[in-house]
Amino acid sequence: MTAVSFAFGLVAFGLLAPVLGCLLTGADRIITARLQGRVGPPLLQPLYDVLKLLAKEKRQLQPFQGFYILLALILAILAGAIFFAGGNLLVVVFLISLSTLFFIIAAYSARSPFAELGAEREIIQVLSYEPMIILMPAFFFMVTGSFDVSRALSLELPPITQIPLIFVGLLFVLTTKLRKSPFDLSFSHHAHQELVKGITTEMSGRTLALVEITHWYETVLFLGYAALFFVWGSPFALVIGLLAALAIYFLEIIIDNSFARVKWQAMLGWSWLVTVFCAVFSVLSVLVVKNYFL
Amino acid sequence: MGSFRLTKMSLRNLGRKPATRPYPQQPARYTPRTKGHIVNNIELCILCSICQKRCPATALTVNKAQGTWTINPFSCVQCGTCVRVCPKKSLRMQPEYTAAAAQMHDCTLVKPEPALDGERSLGSERPQRSERLPGSERPQRKPRPERPSRIGC
Amino acid sequence: MAKHTVIPFGPQHPVLPEPLHLDLVLEDERVVEAIPQVGFIHRGLEKLVEKRDFQTFVNITERICGICSFGHSLGYSQTIENLMGVEVPPRAEVLRVIWHELSRVHSHLLWLGLLADAFGFENLFMQCWRLRERILDIFERTTGGRVILSACNVGGVNQDITNEDLRGIVHILEGLVDEYNELVNTFLTDSSVANRLRGVGYLSKDQARDFCTVGPFARASGIAEDIRSYGYGGYGLLSAFEPVVAEEGDGYARCKVRALEVLQSIQIIKELVEKIPDGELSVRVKGSPVAGSVAVSRLEQPRGECFYYAKGNGSKYLSRFRIRTPTAQNVAGMVHTLQGCDFADVPLNILTIDPCISCTER
Repeated sequence: MTAVSFAFGLVAFGLLAPVLGCLLTGADRIITARLQGRVGPPLLQPLYDVLKLLAKEKRQLQPFQGFYILLALILAILAGAIFFAGGNLLVVVFLISLSTLFFIIAAYSARSPFAELGAEREIIQVLSYEPMIILMPAFFFMVTGSFDVSRALSLELPPITQIPLIFVGLLFVLTTKLRKSPFDLSFSHHAHQELVKGITTEMSGRTLALVEITHWYETVLFLGYAALFFVWGSPFALVIGLLAALAIYFLEIIIDNSFARVKWQAMLGWSWLVTVFCAVFSVLSVLVVKNYFL
Repeated sequence: MGSFRLTKMSLRNLGRKPATRPYPQQPARYTPRTKGHIVNNIELCILCSICQKRCPATALTVNKAQGTWTINPFSCVQCGTCVRVCPKKSLRMQPEYTAAAAQMHDCTLVKPEPALDGERSLGSERPQRSERLPGSERPQRKPRPERPSRIGC
Repeated sequence: MAKHTVIPFGPQHPVLPEPLHLDLVLEDERVVEAIPQVGFIHRGLEKLVEKRDFQTFVNITERICGICSFGHSLGYSQTIENLMGVEVPPRAEVLRVIWHELSRVHSHLLWLGLLADAFGFENLFMQCWRLRERILDIFERTTGGRVILSACNVGGVNQDITNEDLRGIVHILEGLVDEYNELVNTFLTDSSVANRLRGVGYLSKDQARDFCTVGPFARASGIAEDIRSYGYGGYGLLSAFEPVVAEEGDGYARCKVRALEVLQSIQIIKELVEKIPDGELSVRVKGSPVAGSVAVSRLEQPRGECFYYAKGNGSKYLSRFRIRTPTAQNVAGMVHTLQGCDFADVPLNILTIDPCISCTER
């Protein structure tokens, strides 16, 4: 990744990703509504919501809360730009973790009981998906020999053929990262929950609008993680990757509508179980393939 | 114990029309018995004010001296008690709901013929001028609506 | 020494159906103590009985609560009929029971939806309420109101349902059963739902008896008490009635009891539609309650046993009217289940008594 490609990635991701994220979130709401037998909002409803929030009066309990959320947004944009410019996957993963951490700090800074509990749950969520998310670049390195995302475009076969279990593991934690049932403990987009609005309870107006925009950027980035498994050195690769991302998003919507929200003990236990299982068997399969077939 | 128990019903819903209807873009649906608003056939009404005594929401006011029957449609809870106790069956419940308005207003109906003496046949002519006391004013006539409408009265 | 936070739960809270305030003392995510506070929706309706004609007051009793609306008008009418010695025609009694059982079906479907919403299963919530709409359509077609029916009055009922319409109602209910069974299957066998319901808010049979719990809350802990077994009113026509009882005593059992009660209500309606006699709809009640007369009446509302007491003073205004609602009885048991539970279980514990705070506070 050069400076030029990074700048290009920044501009392209910075401008296109919110559009795509908004459309994806809007489609999510309409499909969810149709699955439930309702009509659903217009497609651009997330945009209308953000515009409405930006127009609201500024009411903050604590002056730095908006600043932390702004940092979270900037880090998410940087992470996505590096990813789509073909940069280092490990850097991407850690920048996104830092973004989530600032989100948690913003919630703690409000010092309200609901926001604190929501922040605690968010920390538990991070604990449950971080192992899998860190293993993903490690296995990517095992398969391609480099941490650079751009190496995927020069592969002979898509990574899914060599590390399918890591893809399954990623799908499992993607539910948590995209904030969907059964693992939407800290901040659910729609369902009522005991924490009122969880981690974003004390956020309103401009701050909440920035949270929503961060969510759009993150959605596009995480679907990019999933699409990475379907990309190889073929002219059709990017199309296949895009279709795979959309199919995975649809699957996540169906999962969201088929499960209740579980308690944190179940989420942590299941996520680590799946992570360990997928990691162990993937290591074995990659080593076996490397030693005996190559 | 299993999972994805509700997925079949959800996917079926995708193929069906939504169960909700976008109201008010699509008009509301009523049944013949829906309790919407009260109308009074003022020609049958004898202004006995039993309906006023029985109304739990005190939405009705009947003034026999002036010949007026007034309802506040925004206080009315559409219980139907007045319809049931009316001795002349002049009150009826119509299905349409009272439309939203910026200000609450009353709906007043005026009995067309002043009750001078005894019984009067329905729709009969106005009394002859000679029957009136000298100097008495003709009571004010409110323009009678064609049929009771939903908004205002 | 763990830090204690005090969370004010309610009165406005997206997961609560009605305003109830709880001060929850938390240690991390575990509730150490719960201090309830009620009184946010007190409207003084029992005082209003001194100012409204006792026959008109039935319209006020049905507005005590939106969910158990018909039940309260029925209970009030029964009490006044006991007070004045009025004999209700048999067709009216059966029609009242049919409407009350439909009211029970709609109330339990509403509760199942709220329970699903409380543990984050929004889809299941929407499906339960979608089925409930069919019951509300039946109400609208037969009485004119979806939630507040205004169908019951002192002396009988206000309007009739023709026998043909009754068979139509049975047909609609039978058409509902297949989809309803899918929902019950989700509630009782889905693994994520079980993660939230099993073992939550356990109350043993002795504890339930000590706290004097009523309704499905008690029946889920093994106490087989149901006022309908005494055969008052139209229930006397039923060939057999057994209360639905479960033994586990936790949230799962309460969900099971209410889910099965819906099916039982549909069976009751089917049986009564076949046995309904013809006749008048109501008798004209003249006069006023005798001075010093008192009467009581009990009713099995969707939430449990409801107790009514009325006292006359010779005029057309009653001197006292008191309702002891099932939720008021169950609050003690609820506060007990809240001690020591996880914070994520707090809405579930509150919801499993099917709280109707409007009824409790009138």
